[in-house]
Amino acid sequence: MPASAVPTAEGTDDTAAPSRWVIWALALAGLAAGAYSASIDAAVDPTGEQAEADVGEPLVIAVLFAWLTVSYVLCGLIAWWYRPASRFGPLMIVVGFGIFSAGLTRTTSDVLFTIGHVVDLLPPVLFAHLFLAFPTGRLQSGRLRALLAVAYLAAIGLDLVRMMLGGLGPHNLLEVVAAPDAARVVLRAQLVAISVTCLGALVVLVLRRRSAGPPLRRTLTALIASFAIGLVMIAVLLVSVALGAPAIAQIRWATFATLGVAPVAFLIGLLNDRLARSSVAELVLELQGDPAPPDVRDALGRALRDPSLELAYWLPDFGRYVDIEGRPVELERPGPDAVRATTLIDRDGAHVAALLHDPALKDEPELLGSVAAAAGIALENGRLHAELRARLDELRGSRARIVEAGQRERKRLERDLHDGAQQRLVALLLELKLLEEGLQGDPAARARLDQARREVATSLDELRDVARGLHPAVVSGHGLEVALEQLAARAPVPVRLSVELGGRLPELLEVATFYLVAESLANIGKHAAASSATIEVARVDGRVTVEVVDDGIGGADTERGSGLRGLADRVEALDGRLRVWSPSGGGTRLRAELPCGS
Amino acid sequence: MRVVIAEDSVLLREGLERLLGEHGLDVVGSCQTAQDLLRLVRNGPPDVAIVDIRLPPTHSDEGMRAALEIRARYPDVGVLVLSQYVELGLAMQLLAESTEGAGYLLKDRISDVHDFVAAVRRVATGGSAIDPIIVSTLLSKRRADDPLSRLTPRERDVLELMAQGRSNQGVADRLVITVRAVEKYVSSIFDKLGLPTGGGESRRVLAVLLYLRS
Repeated sequence: MPASAVPTAEGTDDTAAPSRWVIWALALAGLAAGAYSASIDAAVDPTGEQAEADVGEPLVIAVLFAWLTVSYVLCGLIAWWYRPASRFGPLMIVVGFGIFSAGLTRTTSDVLFTIGHVVDLLPPVLFAHLFLAFPTGRLQSGRLRALLAVAYLAAIGLDLVRMMLGGLGPHNLLEVVAAPDAARVVLRAQLVAISVTCLGALVVLVLRRRSAGPPLRRTLTALIASFAIGLVMIAVLLVSVALGAPAIAQIRWATFATLGVAPVAFLIGLLNDRLARSSVAELVLELQGDPAPPDVRDALGRALRDPSLELAYWLPDFGRYVDIEGRPVELERPGPDAVRATTLIDRDGAHVAALLHDPALKDEPELLGSVAAAAGIALENGRLHAELRARLDELRGSRARIVEAGQRERKRLERDLHDGAQQRLVALLLELKLLEEGLQGDPAARARLDQARREVATSLDELRDVARGLHPAVVSGHGLEVALEQLAARAPVPVRLSVELGGRLPELLEVATFYLVAESLANIGKHAAASSATIEVARVDGRVTVEVVDDGIGGADTERGSGLRGLADRVEALDGRLRVWSPSGGGTRLRAELPCGS
Repeated sequence: MRVVIAEDSVLLREGLERLLGEHGLDVVGSCQTAQDLLRLVRNGPPDVAIVDIRLPPTHSDEGMRAALEIRARYPDVGVLVLSQYVELGLAMQLLAESTEGAGYLLKDRISDVHDFVAAVRRVATGGSAIDPIIVSTLLSKRRADDPLSRLTPRERDVLELMAQGRSNQGVADRLVITVRAVEKYVSSIFDKLGLPTGGGESRRVLAVLLYLRS
């Protein structure tokens, strides 16, 4: 993969931090709005719609509006200050002022009352918007934008219609006709539409968490998600009002409490890298302990609080990213639907590694940055480790190919000898014999022909040995069990043979097993001074095990004995393992395990 | 005596045809593939089929499979398998059920013309022909507490020839002794190995082979 195609860390939309003055001005405005909201001495109209949409005692309402306004505005400001890249802070501020505006319905000023009524159903929609936009402040899909657009239309657009129909008392400046029944119908439509929006938002949140796969950054997202229950409560509350049923007090208070605490939860969720500072410090300590390369991923995952974190290392010679085992890793291209985000870690202009992580981490660039910086040397070690593994894999692959090519070539040679020279020599033997029989009267010539025949027979024997050494044709033609029987019968000691393969194996494996047994038996004859041996060949769980046990003197040396070394090479070339137990005086047990695919 | 031959080497096939013809056997068909062999046997079952163990197209086990099929479907047709290599396991596959009308020989044996023709005749008439290498492999097989060690050298010779499928007369000719003497040796051998006597000569071969193989 060319370097240019590698997705790079998103960081271009780093909006400049808001100016200090703006922050202070907004903070003061928020506080003033809160104070005003609390001070409105609920001049509630005893008549009209207020009685129907009864939401609580005036004092409680006043305090609640004040608290919501102040908490959303201030939390939004803090979020904006520390997370200028995220639009979530500004969104919270808007919500705070939106709630304040909705509270203006409680005033007696015509203008303020009218403004308040235009937006009085806005807060539930704003809450839904917040939940859906956490933590980036952006809505991730067109579907969501459409859902909210409908909700906003219902909240504000229909509100204007309703206000024209009157029924809100004397302060309504927009009243055109007095049709309170029609207004009530519109109100119900609004409440139902907004309830549906809230429930829709909840469904989206649940689906999103489902499709996120492994639990991402568990604790915080769970915390935020739990507040989404507020959306359900809003929906219940609004529907009960729309149906004219009495609002259930417990639900009402729980809704207020949930929505009141929510801004703090949002703020914690956004700013949790403040809390993460200590985890970076822990990471530095942990990495100083020089952890094994596979543990580096776990350490980084802990520091970033992303258990699903994956590490990929850049191998310049291979031109690709690999995991710690050297297996190629494809980096996902960034996009709105990307399940994983990618952060590249480069040093001195060269790729070192890539972090594949929860996209939510994109909102904590400092955390990512400091973790990446702290992991520098450890990542370099991991990269070397991965490179080694990749090279080993490559080597193993090429060794297997060489073995296979060698075997193919040997098989071809055996076949050529069998079909060519050997057949001709047999035919020649026969020809000589027939010739010899035809020469009735010449004993000298007959003797010379007989001599020639013996020479040919000897050549044939020698050729046969060569051909069999090249490739045991009986293995390919008739299978391992048939071939091993001859080996066992000709073994230097009595042999008990057991073959349980349940079918043929790949030829490479059959031939390797054949030679393994042949050489083991030859070794037993030469060194073991054994009185008997057992050979067991079996297939278990996708592996072929070959065990050759004798009761000889033991003490076989895997390193010095070139025979055993050769066997080990043969087994390892097929990605298998050979182990030898040979205690002095305790016999020799040789066990090979070879992967056989199925 | 009707013979069919399946051998893909032209030189060898023609040599065999000539050799058998000269010795009074009637080669009624010859072919290069297992398929053709099975067709020849189906069209007119011969007394014996001589089959190269490796036949086209893959030269792996086609010949052997054809031999086993003929053994199973035409019990009256003798089957003599020829091979460049002698494999105990293959011989035992061929002789697993019985040794009657079955043979397994190394190709070189062809040049020992008289012996070879005798082997072909034996197999054609329900006897057997087992390569000396198979027999010597079995005899050399090490056993714990080996009863074979109780045999005299002469008894061993007789056992070896008997196991190759030779008749008492054949053994007697080979060792230049009388048939009566061979019979005496045979009953002594069966005694020492604890094998039941009786049955025809070819049944006795299987008994000996199975004994040696165990």
